[in-house]
Amino acid sequence: MTAVSQGEIQIATESDILLARRAVREAATQVGFGATDVTRIVTAASELARNTFLYAGRGTMHWTRCELHGREGLELKFVDKGPGIPDISLALQEGYSTGKGLGMGLPGAKRLMDDMDIQSAPGHGTTITVKKWRKT
Amino acid sequence: MKKKSRPANSVPPDSTPPSSPAQPLQARRAEMVPLLVKSIKDYAILLLDKEGKVLTWNAGAERIKGWKANEIIGQHFSRFYPPEDIARGKAEEELRTARDEGRFEDEGWRVRKDGSRFWANVIVTALRDENGQLLGYGKITRDLTERREAEEKIRKQSQEILEMATVPIVQAWEGIVLVPLVGMLDSQRTQQLMERLLHRVTETNSPIALLDITGVPTVDTQTAQHLIETISAVRLLGAEVILTGVRPVIAQTLVHLGIDLSNVLTRSSLAAGLRTALETLNLQVAAKQ
Amino acid sequence: MSDISVIRVRDLLMVTLPSDPDDATVSALQHQVLEAMQKREPKGVVLDISAVETLDSFFARTVAETAQMVRLMGGRTIIAGMRPAVAITATQIGLTLGKIETALDVDRALEMVARGDGNIGGQK
Ligand SMILES: Nc1ncnc2c1ncn2[C@@H]1O[C@H](COP(=O)(O)OP(=O)(O)OP(=O)(O)O)[C@@H](O)[C@H]1O
Ligand SMILES: [Mg+2]
Repeated sequence: MTAVSQGEIQIATESDILLARRAVREAATQVGFGATDVTRIVTAASELARNTFLYAGRGTMHWTRCELHGREGLELKFVDKGPGIPDISLALQEGYSTGKGLGMGLPGAKRLMDDMDIQSAPGHGTTITVKKWRKT
Repeated sequence: MKKKSRPANSVPPDSTPPSSPAQPLQARRAEMVPLLVKSIKDYAILLLDKEGKVLTWNAGAERIKGWKANEIIGQHFSRFYPPEDIARGKAEEELRTARDEGRFEDEGWRVRKDGSRFWANVIVTALRDENGQLLGYGKITRDLTERREAEEKIRKQSQEILEMATVPIVQAWEGIVLVPLVGMLDSQRTQQLMERLLHRVTETNSPIALLDITGVPTVDTQTAQHLIETISAVRLLGAEVILTGVRPVIAQTLVHLGIDLSNVLTRSSLAAGLRTALETLNLQVAAKQ
Repeated sequence: MSDISVIRVRDLLMVTLPSDPDDATVSALQHQVLEAMQKREPKGVVLDISAVETLDSFFARTVAETAQMVRLMGGRTIIAGMRPAVAITATQIGLTLGKIETALDVDRALEMVARGDGNIGGQK
């Protein structure tokens, strides 16, 4: 009955990515997403949490149950005070990576979720918010 | 001058008092109205006598219905109705309604001279003189066939989209599932279908899925992309997709659009695909011993 | 060292992955598999991922790389039992597992190796 409607996970070590995934899986299941959508949301969270860890060193993931026009959903917000992303549209391009990745993380997460917002400026950190709405 | 009371739907009398100073053009107005009616091409405008026999015929009537004035004047207007409506006495009923209520409007099938049908909007108005005496009827007909076809197309498409949601996934054989796709593939339908197909392949442990596109009218780049994604996902599970029902037009379209399906097993007919599927499975059985 | 079990079945390595391995476990997978390849010289590796609930780009990349390395060491890699939700997500995100072979379950993967042919469901 007393469903928790938000939470927070600190991301500072590699294994925190796993904790973030677990928290998101639980939250998404609670919101009532189907198995495939739960997998989509958890996978997107995993990509974003790993980016936070890899590029900013540390940060926080907030998750919130939300509602829009009677549709329930889940919002995930990743906040870090790292170096920031100089060119957001470039970072969203498939295959673009400054690390040793394939550059699939950001564009992939965007496709898996219904909505993605990136706020970032060099030296001011990065905030990435993604949302997914339950189908009917 | 005083107006006499008259039925609401009769033709209004000329509202210009004859005593007013007549400009040349105004004087000839009465001649101009029939000229206008006669030359209008988009509407069939005709007068019927009290029994329903055709009195006048205009250019629109000829264009829409096919008869020339001399062929139809004097004939009963039930000639414009399909036999089933004539049998029901529909023509007479229209006149009765127009007479009793002043006006009758209808949308329905009508017949041209050559027997072909068109979808018509028809308005019949009772024409009475100043004393309320019935003179006959005015009939205006528009050809709405194109509009109806457009509506029909939209209705059919939404029906197809609905059907996609309920596309059956059939166990065609042990180890073979079959998906007969119908209609257009949009993103949302494809995603739903992909989910159902993948679950079915896993549940039934079927190594082969036949994706039959015989019922898909056209394939554009987006549809092809959806198909390719579905095929990749099925392969990740460890099963293979055979794309069947690739008709000549579809094959041409795919090549012209530059869509590369060279990694995909395709067959022109469902039967050919099924044969390939069985062969593949037989090979497996034979090798198993 | 990790939750990954690597056992030898006939002339194969059977690797079973847990439902939600952390990055360290995934990295350990590569190490363990390559070690076992060297020690026991199996014909190939069957990766049972039927329990895996999340396959993100890091995990997928590690698996694809490992398969490439196994091939260099003379073996083949078959991924068995991917869940539908995982396959859909992986496809949508744009992950490819390269030329890795797949099988519906471990049984079928073992058959494929025993037969010595490509998979029915095939990236050959
Ligand atoms: N939180 C962040 N802070 C700073 N830069 C970031 C952050 N997240 C992403 N980036 C930048 O955006 C680029 C693209 O990210 P993306 O996740 O798409 O690819 P990747 O992490 O390099 O590779 P992959 O995710 O496929 O392993 C990264 O290489 C990095 O330069
Ligand atoms: Mg990344």
